[in-house]
Amino acid sequence: MPEHAAPAMVSPITTSYPSVAGSPLTLADESTLTKTLVRSDQAQFGLTFGHSRMEGDAIVAATRPDEWTILGAAEAVAAAEAAIDRGGFTSVIPWTHGRACFRLSGADASRMLEKVCGIDWSDHMTPDGAVVSASVALTTCDIIRNDIIRNDIAAGGAAGTPSYLLVMDRSFAQYLFDALIDAGQEFGIAVG
Amino acid sequence: MAQSNRLPQQPHEVIDRGSPLNFTWNGKNLTGFTGDTIASALVANGVEVVSRSMKYHRPRGYITADFWDPNGFVQVGPEPNVRSGHRELSSGIAVDPQNVWPSLDYDVKAANGLVGRFLSAGFYYKTFMKPASLWPAFEKVLSTFAPGGTVDLEAPKDEFDKRYAHPDVLVAGGGPAGMAAAIAAAESGASVMLVEHEHRLGGHLCWGSDADVALAGELAAAAEAAGVEVLVNSTVTGRYEDNWIAVTQRSHPLATERLIKARAKVLVVAAGLIERPYVFAGNDKPGVMLSGAVRRLVNLYAAKPGERAVVFSANADGDATVADLERAGIEVASVVDARSGANLIEAHGGSKRVSSIEFADGSKVDADLLVVAAGWTAPTSLLNMAGDRPVYDESSARFFPQHAIDNVLTTGGLAGDGTRDELVEHGRATGRLAAERAAAVRHRLQAFTVQAAPVDGDEPAWADDARTPLGRDPHPALFQSTSTGTKSKAFVDFSEDISNKDLVAAAKEGYDSVELLKRYTTATMGPAQGKLETVNTVAVLADARGETIEEVGTTVWRPPYAPISLGGLAGRIFNPHRVSAIHEWHTSNGMVPIQAGAWERPDHYGDPAAEVRNTRENVGIIDVSPLGKLDLRGPDVPKLLNLLYTNKWSKLPIEGVRYGIMCADDGVVMDDGVTGHLGENHYLMTTTSSGAARVWEWIENWLQTERPDWQVHVTPVTTAYTSINVAGPKSRELMAQLTDIDLDPEAFPYMTLRQGTIAGIDDCIMWRIGFTGELSYELHVPAGHGLHVWETLMETGADLGIKPFGLEAQRIMRLEKGHFIVGQDTDGLTLAPTTGLEPLIKLDKDDFVGKAELAWAMNDRLDELPRLVAIQTTDPTIVPMEATQIVRAGTTEILGRITSSRMSPTLNRSVCLGQVASAMAAPGTELELVLIPDGRRVTATVMEHHAHFDPEGERLRA
Repeated sequence: MPEHAAPAMVSPITTSYPSVAGSPLTLADESTLTKTLVRSDQAQFGLTFGHSRMEGDAIVAATRPDEWTILGAAEAVAAAEAAIDRGGFTSVIPWTHGRACFRLSGADASRMLEKVCGIDWSDHMTPDGAVVSASVALTTCDIIRNDIIRNDIAAGGAAGTPSYLLVMDRSFAQYLFDALIDAGQEFGIAVG
Repeated sequence: MAQSNRLPQQPHEVIDRGSPLNFTWNGKNLTGFTGDTIASALVANGVEVVSRSMKYHRPRGYITADFWDPNGFVQVGPEPNVRSGHRELSSGIAVDPQNVWPSLDYDVKAANGLVGRFLSAGFYYKTFMKPASLWPAFEKVLSTFAPGGTVDLEAPKDEFDKRYAHPDVLVAGGGPAGMAAAIAAAESGASVMLVEHEHRLGGHLCWGSDADVALAGELAAAAEAAGVEVLVNSTVTGRYEDNWIAVTQRSHPLATERLIKARAKVLVVAAGLIERPYVFAGNDKPGVMLSGAVRRLVNLYAAKPGERAVVFSANADGDATVADLERAGIEVASVVDARSGANLIEAHGGSKRVSSIEFADGSKVDADLLVVAAGWTAPTSLLNMAGDRPVYDESSARFFPQHAIDNVLTTGGLAGDGTRDELVEHGRATGRLAAERAAAVRHRLQAFTVQAAPVDGDEPAWADDARTPLGRDPHPALFQSTSTGTKSKAFVDFSEDISNKDLVAAAKEGYDSVELLKRYTTATMGPAQGKLETVNTVAVLADARGETIEEVGTTVWRPPYAPISLGGLAGRIFNPHRVSAIHEWHTSNGMVPIQAGAWERPDHYGDPAAEVRNTRENVGIIDVSPLGKLDLRGPDVPKLLNLLYTNKWSKLPIEGVRYGIMCADDGVVMDDGVTGHLGENHYLMTTTSSGAARVWEWIENWLQTERPDWQVHVTPVTTAYTSINVAGPKSRELMAQLTDIDLDPEAFPYMTLRQGTIAGIDDCIMWRIGFTGELSYELHVPAGHGLHVWETLMETGADLGIKPFGLEAQRIMRLEKGHFIVGQDTDGLTLAPTTGLEPLIKLDKDDFVGKAELAWAMNDRLDELPRLVAIQTTDPTIVPMEATQIVRAGTTEILGRITSSRMSPTLNRSVCLGQVASAMAAPGTELELVLIPDGRRVTATVMEHHAHFDPEGERLRA
């Protein structure tokens, strides 16, 4: 058998949109992040359903009552997986290829989401770290609020830039990406 | 005309005289100013007649000159039914009257007025009923009389949008009380959305005194400073359960209209009051206007509504109109004070304009403008929708809210009367109360929402309503003139051309309940939805019944408060669709797509028959990524499989693959597919493409509700893998060049799986199964590498004659092979044993879903059930359409139907599957088919095997 080189993973987003520097609202395709699904009857990462936090450089989100999703660079996810309590009935399922992931960031990110999703995006109902599962433009998504905290602001204790990770079935990704770009026109959305 | 009726600058006009706008009316070039409405621009240009009425085509002018004006509907370019009293003028628009022929000035349909006595209320129900066969002809004629403008189907489509919002407090109405409520609520810490129907905040203050206008400005600035989200030119159109509030926003910068679905913790209704017309003879003649219309035209737009006015006043607004007219230099010929008992008899005039007014005392005054200030209607719609039934207050001659509703508060004119300061103070108190109650709701919501920020302390106590109530000013009860006997019609509903005589006649016919009367006559059912007509309708009925308004009661106002466009309801159009990782390749390589559920898939690449032949002779590949795939993990997976499938699974070895049928409780086939044993406690189940979500839900339902003690994790992985079926006699030769898996038939036999590397991609799954009947390998590769594997297959297989094939070729090959498709060859009554797969139904298992029904069917009544069989037409060139009926020879007795049919490129004859009565299912039985569409009868024969091609399966086991 001849040798075949394995190429890098391909994102489901194949259309290209112009990138605008300094755009107040950005949508970035982060589909090639490594993703792991943890199903377990054990408490994991000290996280209860609806919440997320950083585990090293990976994001860990409690996406269902018995389910956690880990996202990040491959090494970061591997490191986070080390913290999984594998007792009880626990399954660790590779999830990288089945799910696409976008990051919507900017001061108007919540107003943008209001156009495509019925969740209350106010700071008190969905604060930084909140995790919800909802219909976004008629596509089921897990949405993780994961604000970008700039160092200078963090030092002053101020809030960072609102940012949301949208994780959805890979096959819907291209449709949803296009739909979000279209819906975000009034906020000057650009690909980040 | 060069704005012949434009007044000199008025103190608080909103037009920008430095910004003229050209437009056309009825084909004539006119000019207005930025800030004008279409109505004000037309009035400023001396236009008197703007429309014809719906039924009698009577000439009509503006009566309210605002959103609710029943006479102001016009065509603007391609857009019909534009409310000219509300729509702001824009440059270059073409405004035309609608539903007139041949012209607005001379409308032939006005002849309807001559036969008005035959067009009374309910005439539709009395005429055109018989003979029923003529209804289509009647309908055609009647449709030419339908009101409304013309829809241009070729016009560019407008953009519409939708938004969700969750304000603590939503205030409906931006008058003084509404603004004050919004400011106070925001200053108390609530997030507030303030929705104003008109183009600017202020309500009636906008066309009021200097002090009124100043206050409006101050409050608007304060609202902005307090962080209130202000939506002008927007309407709260409905209030539903739990304060689900519908807002139609017409002021969005990009969308023509946007529906906002707001979930407000507290709704403050500050909708103000709507001026009510007065019912008297000739009250629809152009030149008869309500006081608010005149004040808006004069004060906001400097448009002169007439030269010589008579003012019929029952309140301070009527009096203020006199002052405004005099200030603007319009002659006031007479002021008739209804508070002193004076009354109107009739407005006289020609077809274009009122010319004189006749009073109850017999006097008559020449005038081209009659200003009517007869009272107010309380638009209690939102309160009705919240469950309130407002009650009539005789002394104030209007309705007031009856019940206190916890999270719906009322302020402003709906709540009572008062000075500016009193209204503002009541609004502020309402805003503070709303904020306090919203805080309690917010605390509760936060406390039980898992992702919400933590809350401190106990839920705040529900704030008592300690507001000082507004007073109620006395007002004469003026609904219809007491004078009768004139020939002119006195209209109650201008939109529907319903007069007071129509209502009295309907009541005499027995429609004397207000709800029946409304529906029989259509009074209040026009575009104003009762804002102008409801109370007068009730009053006329009360007179007819000799009862009071309170005794008659009212109709119930339901959503929407104001009409919403269909585009607004639809909002932004979302059309989710799914594509595989190879979609772009398919698109670039001649795919003819087919929509399969949400999936867009290649139906074929130009010639499905050639794709079949190539696959049978060489090797073909098909993208089967939509195939449902569920990752099953846990020690109890075999129990689950045994429960859900009809066959046995406990002994499926690792690397084994097995086909199964899944039935519902009633034994009807629900889905089918192949499940492979990947490793210890780890399986991969495949389902039909269309059944993937249903099967996932089915499994979760069983695990979560019926077998919660079982340890199984089920995860949908349909799109985690790109699935490719490599089929054809050369498929092994192809795959041997791409994988390290041993493909020797003995090492990798039929119905087994292997895991390994394919085209350099690790973690691939390969199983030896096939739907086409050929030697084939089904590859499941990580989706992010799916395109690479596909392209490598195409490149490597070039020498072997590889071609892609689509769904159509797959359908043909599976039919040649006799494989059924759940949902096509089966239906909602198809029991599993009737599909030819009895050996897969293991009644000796302890239990499985559908077992009881299947046992009964197999033991006692199999002979009664239709059977799925392969069918061969006698004439091999005939391909009966799917759904062709199978009948008893020479009769119309239906014995079955063709469920699948194609011309086989392999066999050069038609191939069919069909369901037939059990008695006709024996091999060799001759059937009679009634062909679609010509009804020709042909014969066919039941075949021995389902498979038309390679019934022994030698090719796929090769």
